[in-house]
Formats: sequence, C-alpha cells, structure tokens
Amino acid sequence: MELSNNSSKVKVIASGLIPFAFVIIMMAYIFGPGADLLDLGVPLPEITIEKVDFHDSEIQATVRNTGPIPVEIAMADVNDRIQPAAVEPDRFIERFESALVRIPFEWNEAEPYIIGITIGDGTRFEKEIEAAAPALEPTIDLAIFFAIIGTYVGIIPVMIGLLWLPFIKKISKQKFHFFLALTAGLLFFLAIDSIEEAVEVSNESLAGSFNGILLITTVIVLSFLGLFYSGNKLVSRVNSSKLAKPVAIALMISIGIGLHNFGEGLAIGASVGLGSVAFSTFLIVGFALHNTTEGIAIAAPMSRGKLMIGKLAAMGMIAGSPAIFGAWLGGFVYSPFTSIIFLSIGAGAIFQVIIVILKWIRDEGDSTLSSASVASGFAFGMLVMYLTSILI
Amino acid sequence: MILVIFVIFGISIIMIFPTISEAQSEQKTFVTHSGAVVKTSGEILDPLYTVSSVEFDPEQYLRNFEYGRLSVSETGQTIRDYTIIAEDDKIQEISPGIFYNVWTFNGTVPGPTIRATEGDIVRVHFINNGSKEHTIHFHGIHPAGMDGVFEPIGGNGGQFIYEFEAGPVGVHPYHCHVMPLEEHIVHGLYGVFIVDPKEKRPPADEMVMVLNGLDTDFDTENNFYAVNTIPFYYQHHPIQINTNELIRVYVVNMVEFDPINNLHLHGNLYRYYPTGTDLIPSFYTDMITLSQTERGIMEFEYEYPGKYLFHAHKVEFSEKGWVGIFLVKDNPDKTSQKVEYGT
Repeated sequence: MELSNNSSKVKVIASGLIPFAFVIIMMAYIFGPGADLLDLGVPLPEITIEKVDFHDSEIQATVRNTGPIPVEIAMADVNDRIQPAAVEPDRFIERFESALVRIPFEWNEAEPYIIGITIGDGTRFEKEIEAAAPALEPTIDLAIFFAIIGTYVGIIPVMIGLLWLPFIKKISKQKFHFFLALTAGLLFFLAIDSIEEAVEVSNESLAGSFNGILLITTVIVLSFLGLFYSGNKLVSRVNSSKLAKPVAIALMISIGIGLHNFGEGLAIGASVGLGSVAFSTFLIVGFALHNTTEGIAIAAPMSRGKLMIGKLAAMGMIAGSPAIFGAWLGGFVYSPFTSIIFLSIGAGAIFQVIIVILKWIRDEGDSTLSSASVASGFAFGMLVMYLTSILI
Repeated sequence: MILVIFVIFGISIIMIFPTISEAQSEQKTFVTHSGAVVKTSGEILDPLYTVSSVEFDPEQYLRNFEYGRLSVSETGQTIRDYTIIAEDDKIQEISPGIFYNVWTFNGTVPGPTIRATEGDIVRVHFINNGSKEHTIHFHGIHPAGMDGVFEPIGGNGGQFIYEFEAGPVGVHPYHCHVMPLEEHIVHGLYGVFIVDPKEKRPPADEMVMVLNGLDTDFDTENNFYAVNTIPFYYQHHPIQINTNELIRVYVVNMVEFDPINNLHLHGNLYRYYPTGTDLIPSFYTDMITLSQTERGIMEFEYEYPGKYLFHAHKVEFSEKGWVGIFLVKDNPDKTSQKVEYGT
C-alpha cells in the first residue's frame, strides 16, 4: 500500500517535470551553442537616457542599456555639439546596466537642452530637457520644505475632509449610501488618474523594453489581488475581534488613498526637481483641493461606528503623509521606473477599496446597487473629482 | 498601515543610499575646452583632445600626392598610370570608440590624391573589389565614355580603365557615381584630382584638405564634420608650417546633406583661386563659402609664429570636428621676403 502510494507520488512528480524537461531541451535546441535557427537579422543596440541633472558647471545624464546587446558609450553632446565628458563607472554597459555620463558644461538656467549620447556604432540617442534647473541637493532645508508641501497637499486636506464626519453621521441610510457611492466614485476617478499618470511617465521616460503598459497592468492586478486577499483576511478577523468592520474598511481606504497620495507627492517633487515651478504651484493648489474630498471617503464608512477620533486622525495620517515621502523621493531621487510602480500599486489598491465599498453597500441591503442614491452618488463623485482636477 | 509606511520609507532609503555611498575609486582628471579640470573615477570620453591612433592617418594624407607610373607615348605625351581599388566592407574607427562602415578608394577616405600636369594622359586602372557596383567619375574635361556614370563596374573584381587628357588646370574632385549616389558619396568614395599648369606654380608647402562629413547613424544628417575625415584631428595634431613660407592648400568640399560649408583662417588672409583654373587669385579674404564639390586653391604666408586656428565659421561644423590648428614655427632660413619700400 505504502509502496504504491510512493510510486504514484513519484509518477505525479515525474509527470509534472517531464514537460519542463522538454521545454529545456527545446530551448537548448533553439538557443544553444551551434544553433543557428534563430540567427535572424542584426540586433539593434538601444540606450535610454533616463534622467538628466544639472549641477554646478556640469550636466549629468543617467544612461541605461535597454537593448538586446551590450553597448559602448563613445561620445556625449549638448544640443548636438560634441563635448568632452566622463562616464562612470565605465563606458561598457551590459543589458539593463546603467552608467552616469558627466558633461562639464556652463549651462544657463531655464533654457532648453538636448543631451545626446553616441554609442560605438555611431548611433546617437537624445533626450530633451524643457528647462534646465539646478538639481536638488538633498539638504535638510529642502527636505523640510517638501515635508511642509506634503503636509499641505496630503495631511491637512484629508483632515479637513474628515470634518464632514458629524454631518454624515446624522443622515439617513439612503443618504449614507449616497455618500458611500460618492466615495467609490471619487476613488474610481483617482485610480484612472493614477493609471493615466503612470502611462504618461512610461511613454516619456521608460524604455520600450520594460513594456510600460503591461508593467502597469501587471502591478495593478498584483496589488489588487494582494490587498483583496489580505483585506478579506482582515475583515474576517475583525468580525471576531473588537475592531469594527467600518474601521477595517476605512483603514483599507486610507491605505489606498495613501498610495495614491504618494504618487501625487512624486509628481510634485519631480516637477519641483525639474524646475517647472509654475506647474508645481498649480499641482499643489489642485491636489490640496482635490484631496479634501478624500477625507470624505475615509469619513463615510467610519460614520457608522463609534466616534473614534484617535483612529480617525491616524487614518488621516496614513492617507495624507505618504505625500511627504513621495515629494522626497520625486524631488531627490526621481526614477521613472519606481514612479510607475508606485502609481500602479496605488491604482490596484483603489480598485480593491471600491470593491469593498460596493460589497458593503450590498450587504447593507441595496442588493443590486441600482438605487438612486448609489447611482447618483457614484456619478456625483466622479463629477466632483473631474471639476477639481481641472484646477491642476 | 505602519508596515506600508515602513516599506515606502525603506524603499526611499534604498534609492537614496547608492548615490551617497558611491565608492570613490581611482581618480582621473581631464581638462575641458573651456579650461575646467574635471575629476572622474570612470572613463574619459574625449574626441577633442585625446591622441587616438587611427587607421587612417590624416597627417600622412595631408601632403601625399600620387604622380602615377610614368611613361611616354609614341607622340611624346607623358602617360601617368594609376591603380585605384574600390572596397565597401571596411569598418574603421573614425573617432575614438566610434566605428563606421567606410567605402574606400585604395583603402582610405578620401582616396589617393591624383596629380598630373595639364595635357598628360591619365590612365586609371580601376578594380572594384566591393560587393556593390562602383565607378569613378572625374570632374574635368573628358569623353562621355570616361565619365563613370553609364558604365557601372560590377563588384568582386570588375575592372575598367579610365583614360583621358588631364585638364583643365585646377583642383577637382573624383567620386563614385553609382545610384543611390548620395549613399556612395557619403560612405567615402571620393578623392582629389589636381592638374598642374605646364609652367608650374611657384614652390610652396602644399597640402590637400577635403572637407567632409560622416553620417554615422544614417539619418541624413552629419554626426561629424572634418578636414580629411577624422574629426578634430588637426586640432590635437597641429599642422606644422614655417613663417614666411608660401603655403598652398588645395581645398575640396565633399560635405553632403548641408548645403554649404566654409573655411575661415585665423590671423591671416589667403589669396583664393576658385577651382584653381586661373593663375590670378580672385579674392584676398579669410572666409570662403563652398557648396557641394566646390573647391579652390588657397595661398598664404604667416609672418608671426604661433598657433592659428582654421575652421568652419558655420560653428556647428567646427564643434562637430571641422577645426584644426596651424602651428607656425619661426623660420631661421628665410627672413622676410617682403620688398622694402622706399629703398
């Protein structure tokens, strides 16, 4: 009995492994040494200039090999005029490896520049900078400045939004459903907003080899599934603990909004870093107004529990404070790849929160989610967000 | 929630950290063209000032003239036989670290400078060892069948003999004339053909300057400009000349894509003979504009020793390699040849 059990186990394992073995054999046949089946055409080298920083009498370009073959960096130019430069750590870059090209150059603030890099086969790649601005040095002063901006954009508006709590508390169930649906609408808008931003960054600065759109989709789905799973675990645990369900939902909303605000912080930090000061002023005003509505999203579910000011304030912090971290990261060490990852995680988190809210409304009695209050709430939420977003 | 904040914070630390902890290894220094000294732990990319060993030596090309194998015809005419071999598979380092597929006459861009005297019989034995069809089309006066246009010579050993009487006097380009023409020219199939007058020009320190461009990424815009192919070459290898010695420069503009080119000389003016067809200079200037295959002869002497730039005053071209230096040395043998007026 035991023997046959063992042998059947071996069979299962073997039957699982055999296809893998064939895959390996096939790969070896196609790509292995001496195989010239796929020797088609010439692989074209590609590099991406991911970032350009303007320092004192020097322009620094971060260059990544995003093509299928190793490349050798041979020359740098500014506005298509050849300049002597240094490349660190060295001029040979393997696939996905990056190097820093330092070009001594007396640049002028607010002027546009095109930075070009020529590789060994004579191909030139370039990146255009709309307006040169000194790279932000990570000083304490600037860190504090970003923290203050993050507070204005993230924490304070969310806290103001939370002040609607007493109002939401006093209203009827229908009206409450309206506000919950409104929250869902707000969040849906934010998710689309995040995706749009991620796609924009991907188109502007991410190399084609990263498959920007698929990267965004994958991260959104992973983030959604991860939070959906752990969120359900959390809710089923709070059912048996003293933590109330509304609190759990509000917490999830806060985390989702927090990730979104992190993305907003990145946008502000990056635009300050890139020198578009006027643009960042609009961003700050716009995000601040816009984020007030996020406070409502957190307040709505909390309004059905006991009034817990401490918890509410904590959630405001969770939702708002990531704007500070985002501003630091965006301003000091901006990288298109990480921005896209964070924006996508945020979008996935928000979709999960929307599902949770809609489920809650359904559990409370509106089984088809088609009541006037839900439909109008969702629509109104989208509309409010759209109108405030025009300000950005 | 705290976890999320920690994760975000942790990632931001990781992102900042490598930029702070970057090890300061062995330092190299280099001087920019504005004089600033820059230190780096990496490598230096400098097409301007590094002395690079290049396969094609512009130093040698500058003063090299091919007079051919001499013989005399039955009628007493001088016959000059030349052999020119075309190839199109050579990869040459044309600027430090940058490799380009050059198409060559006798292995170089530009091809050899062919020189004959007016009225000589020029016989060019052309062998095409390339993979494509090529020809040699000479600017000048010759029969239609010697024009190198309607008789493309097949690759892998195709042969043809171009034969004609040298003329008119002057400096002329020759180049491949197979379609697509622009491609065959910009890859390097061109050279200079000088016809000397029978009575000879006065003795001088003579040199050939082909103004050319290189489109290394095939976007119909030149990535480099140069005198004699290698960008910045005569800037880091100045051309040495003497004071009070007649300098004669045969200049041919072979730049494609850009409609004009020009040549500006520092600290001096030159007498200019357009196309070199006349023995009396047309201009006395320090600036001449040249269109495609426009050429001429420039003559000048330097009175004061020192370093003098010559470059395209279309400054874009000079910042992309078309710039050089004359290093004028005091000539002890020749004192001023100027006529002392009033004596």
